Amino acid sequence: MLEWIEPLIKTLTTDSGFWNPLVWGIVFIISYLVIYIVRGMGKKEYKKDTGQTQVFLSGNPEYDKEKMHVPGANVYWGFTEALKWLYNKFDKMHTGNVSDYILWFVLIMGLFLVIMVVI
Amino acid sequence: MNGVVDWLILHSPALIIAIPLLGAFLTILIGKIGPRIRNVFVIIIMAITSFLILLLVNDVFTNGIRTYVFGGGSTSIESSYAIRILFEIDGLNAFIAIIAAILPIVAIIYSWAFMKEHTGLDKYYTLILLMTAGMLGMILTGDLFNFFVFLEITSIASAALIAFYLDKQNSIQAAFKYIVISAIGALFLLFAVALFYGQYNALNMAVIANNISFTFIDKIALVVLFAALAMKAGIVPMHMWLPDAYGRAPASITVILIGTTLASLYGLFRVIFTIYGKYLFSFDSTQMALTLGVLIIILAVVTIVIGVFMALKQNDFKRMIAFAAIAEIGYMFLAVGAALSTYTFERGAAIISASGQMALKGGIFHIFNDALDVGLLFLVAGAVYYAAKETSLNKLGGLARNMKYTTVFFLIGLAAVSGLPPMNGFASKLIIYQSMFQINPLLTIVAILCSILLLAVFVKVFYSVFLGPKLPKFSGVKEVPKSMLIAMGIIASIIVFIGLFPNIFVENIVTPATNALQNATSYIGGVL
Amino acid sequence: MVCFNNGTISSYYGGDLKMLEITDLSFFILKIIIGTIGLIAFGIVFGLIYKGVDRKLSAHMQGRIGPPVRQPFRDIVKLFTKENIVPDNAIPWVYNLAPLIGLIATMTILLYLPIGGFNPLLSNQGDLILILYLLLIPSLAMVIGGFASGSPYATVGAQREMATMIGYEFPLAIVIVTFAWALGNQSLAPTVIQGISGAAEPVVLQNTFSLAVISGIPIWGTVGIIGLIGIIVLLLALLIVTPAELSKIPFDTPEAETEIAGGLLTEYSGRNLGIFYLTDAVKTVVMASIIVALFFPWNLAELLSIEDPIWLVYVLNIIFFLIKVLIVIIFSVTLIRVAIARLKIDQIVYTYWLWITLLALVGLICIMWDQQMIVSQWNFLDGYQPIVSYLGL
Repeated sequence: MLEWIEPLIKTLTTDSGFWNPLVWGIVFIISYLVIYIVRGMGKKEYKKDTGQTQVFLSGNPEYDKEKMHVPGANVYWGFTEALKWLYNKFDKMHTGNVSDYILWFVLIMGLFLVIMVVI
Repeated sequence: MNGVVDWLILHSPALIIAIPLLGAFLTILIGKIGPRIRNVFVIIIMAITSFLILLLVNDVFTNGIRTYVFGGGSTSIESSYAIRILFEIDGLNAFIAIIAAILPIVAIIYSWAFMKEHTGLDKYYTLILLMTAGMLGMILTGDLFNFFVFLEITSIASAALIAFYLDKQNSIQAAFKYIVISAIGALFLLFAVALFYGQYNALNMAVIANNISFTFIDKIALVVLFAALAMKAGIVPMHMWLPDAYGRAPASITVILIGTTLASLYGLFRVIFTIYGKYLFSFDSTQMALTLGVLIIILAVVTIVIGVFMALKQNDFKRMIAFAAIAEIGYMFLAVGAALSTYTFERGAAIISASGQMALKGGIFHIFNDALDVGLLFLVAGAVYYAAKETSLNKLGGLARNMKYTTVFFLIGLAAVSGLPPMNGFASKLIIYQSMFQINPLLTIVAILCSILLLAVFVKVFYSVFLGPKLPKFSGVKEVPKSMLIAMGIIASIIVFIGLFPNIFVENIVTPATNALQNATSYIGGVL
Repeated sequence: MVCFNNGTISSYYGGDLKMLEITDLSFFILKIIIGTIGLIAFGIVFGLIYKGVDRKLSAHMQGRIGPPVRQPFRDIVKLFTKENIVPDNAIPWVYNLAPLIGLIATMTILLYLPIGGFNPLLSNQGDLILILYLLLIPSLAMVIGGFASGSPYATVGAQREMATMIGYEFPLAIVIVTFAWALGNQSLAPTVIQGISGAAEPVVLQNTFSLAVISGIPIWGTVGIIGLIGIIVLLLALLIVTPAELSKIPFDTPEAETEIAGGLLTEYSGRNLGIFYLTDAVKTVVMASIIVALFFPWNLAELLSIEDPIWLVYVLNIIFFLIKVLIVIIFSVTLIRVAIARLKIDQIVYTYWLWITLLALVGLICIMWDQQMIVSQWNFLDGYQPIVSYLGL
């Protein structure tokens, strides 16, 4: 009767580990229910449209919305700053010039030719 | 009724190419009647094609290799006279063909609303169908020269489509770069075909594979084919055309471009494992297989690392996804290289070790997942562009208020592409990690790390596009039309389905593909 | 549930693992439901207790009296009675959902960990890679929550958290993969293998990413002297990764109260903040349990060879486990956060990607070298011995 269900709930095995999304899903749903109930014990209300809901800027007035949004280019500053030396090299590599693209192609082909054919 | 289905299955390889090809030319005529009828016509054509592909794939998975000879006659070929157009479909082509069945139809549904405001749509749909026909031809053909022809058809159609936003200088530039790269790649491919033809008097892949003796010329042909197809597949450092092309083309086109890139990757696998398979499987070649495997691994690691690092830095939505797509291709390449490097000779036969087999499975599985995940993200990027007329991450912001469904689809894509459980990307990456670590633990470490960097990449997108305060300039932005939501929904639901039931997929679809990949003899046997 | 003993460990050998039996399905689901609820209660209660102990101890170390151990419980109760403000700039559904998802994902990890000396509840349904990815989700939830609150402070904090995450994930991945490699790629000492499966020849272990397998065979017994150094180095690396995983000083730049006013939690208040507080507490237990499972998997009852009565075994094991977790927390959280000042964000990325990664790589290389030596010892029967054989175990 339940034969059809067997392939559906089978665990994915990789010889070194396993992964069963359905079981995880069940656990996720149960945890969701429990924690949702726990969360429901908290207070829901707050005073809408008062000073409470304004953004915290150490007491300064809010700027234009445009200025409040940190643009994408500034995200991960710490990361790119720490690896600046690497990024400079990558930037040099990407010239956007078609002749360079072909040059890379020829380079790789030459390299493979040397390794595979000559050696 | 049964007779009709049998007839359809019998002739499906021909019909799969013929229907979109004829449909392409009919589209212009039907376009004269009206745009709505034309759109319906194109969807029907593509739906029939997809249906036929699924019929064929089902047939291949149940009954084994299918050979289809054009112009009738027997399906087997004498090795002395091997010039005949012939399609051969085994587990591997069938697997890739499923991707080719899904992506174009989604792109066409998406285009309905996405391209509505543009002129020249007759040509647009014609070219889409041509491109699809070319891609399917590349996937199904059993003939190397034929592969070249279909590659050219695909390249020309795609170049024209990449330049579709004619009013933007950048897209014309991208199309120019694409056509130069494609022409060079195709030329070298043709050169390799000529080398084979001169030696073996044959163009058929199976015949060449049967006769391959790995002479000096064969080695040159391998290198040339490898470089040309790797460039078409976007392997670093020959990847630079890809962000240009993916980033500048309309989103619907980019989705099909992913399919063509993967078709090139398929060609590469076919060359390595089938055409050179008989040699690589022989006793005195394990050294060669190891060398090739190590070279592929090095290229793959470079691809993954440069792909993610460049993606982290991009500030254009679509360009960023394009770099992420490059990194994803690196994963498949890594798995295949790792598998190749584990060829050993035991008890009279060359075999891939158990972990290599598993790696191959993960790599092949990842092809499918990558096509869906990256495809979904490009569709979301297109939707954002459609709604806000902007792709720069520095200018977008706060769109989650206006575009709820798109945001959810983006989150699904984000989780899938960075391999968060329970999405499909996690399943395939899990297989890759857990097989690769036995070959070399450092490979797994790099793979895990770059997968987390991919997560960082898309969290940046999520923030700078969808989150943040309500920007006045986007206050009028509305959710995208239904056809685009349906297209994204189709891909998202397939992603979630595979994510929840990965085992079904691996057992029934991925395993036949990996078996076919390793079994060059049965591919040859399908023709000779 | 199965206790760790030699008889059951051998069932992890061989290709096919026990699949879910259809007949057991309903029993299995019932087990999951009860287990989940139980582990949630365990995680929350002990997470908060450990948090209290940590605060008390660090206060003593700094020469303060410190709050009572039950203070975190009071904090939670207080937060749940405060107003739950959703700022104007926030996107409400993302803002409210982020803390929930983070806590739930952390809770689900508990089911894959060997808690209190028991086998993991879902020992055959998920492994270390899954845990690695699930550990990302609470941090990710904080990042997305911070971004979604639409405040510049929160944005800065969130992007710092993401950069920190990329930083510590490198050494963490090295530690996890090294463990699986060391067990899977061969060569357990013959004594260990004989003890487990009765086999005379070296066996290649399968499912080496499974925590049940890893904690079933303590890694210390499988290595020689070079490997021992490798393991200690790896343990050190993981202990330094832990405070960053938990956003504790010196790696708490994402929150950095003195500079960016609480960073990604700036706008959070009331029950949402309370849930983040709980997540932090549970995550501390999770991280400490992972370290215990990887490095200190022994059980007291086994060490004292007590088998009867069964309740005594359970009680001893659970108490021993709780003590082990406490010690790990003291070393990786309390001591470090009292001793060191906060680092800058680019320093964090640099530290992790250079120094800690190098440290972890040294551990990896030591263990690989060690395995090579042990394998050659089987071939040539010369002097390099696993540690256990010196101890005469």
